[in-house]
Amino acid sequence: MLVLTRRENESIMIGDTIEVKLLDVKDHQVKIGIAAPRDVAVHRKEVYLAIQAENEQAARAPKSKDLPKLIPG
Amino acid sequence: MRLETSRFGAIDVGEEDVLTFTQPIIGFQDFRRFVLLRGADATEVSWLQSTEAGDLAFILMDPRSVVSDYAVQLGAGELAELAVNAPAELEVFTLVVVPADPSQVRTNLKAPILVNRRQRLAKQTILENSAYPVRFVLAQAGSRPREEVSHARADA
Repeated sequence: MLVLTRRENESIMIGDTIEVKLLDVKDHQVKIGIAAPRDVAVHRKEVYLAIQAENEQAARAPKSKDLPKLIPG
Repeated sequence: MRLETSRFGAIDVGEEDVLTFTQPIIGFQDFRRFVLLRGADATEVSWLQSTEAGDLAFILMDPRSVVSDYAVQLGAGELAELAVNAPAELEVFTLVVVPADPSQVRTNLKAPILVNRRQRLAKQTILENSAYPVRFVLAQAGSRPREEVSHARADA
């Protein structure tokens, strides 16, 4: 892992399009601003992992004996 | 086209029925194309069936059937991503988990599935700033009968 030291209001560029800016440092909390293209999803990791795990559970849906019908568009 | 599915057997769907996910269902990056199916019975669930993997399907529900005031706040960028011009074009579903214990059937209110059926676009979004839980057990929603809720709404 690349480690960089930054002060408040300094940024890091990731590639040409993603900017990560250190906005505020207080006690044990850091406020970070992220500017990224729309197709780059940005999430808190623990939330992301929780949702990934829940999605995996959701994909284990039981089989249905009922033949489904398409919902008309 | 004809899909061979593990749950429903062979089903015929038109290309115009296929939703393309602009952002994947998290953990399922390789699967971007799904069709919405409704169970033949009168239940309120729908199915999201992958057109790329016959054994990949999710149960969807309308979150408002358990949380009547469920609401999502989306930014302009997200609406543009799904080519939504008017709020009515956007449908909001949540994924359902059906564990062995039926009393623990739950839905993910934190990361709903957004669908613009007209443009055939969809995505799973994460409501980063909401307090909705990832695991909302449906049985816990039964504290208020639905009729009472609809009365309250009419009075408001």
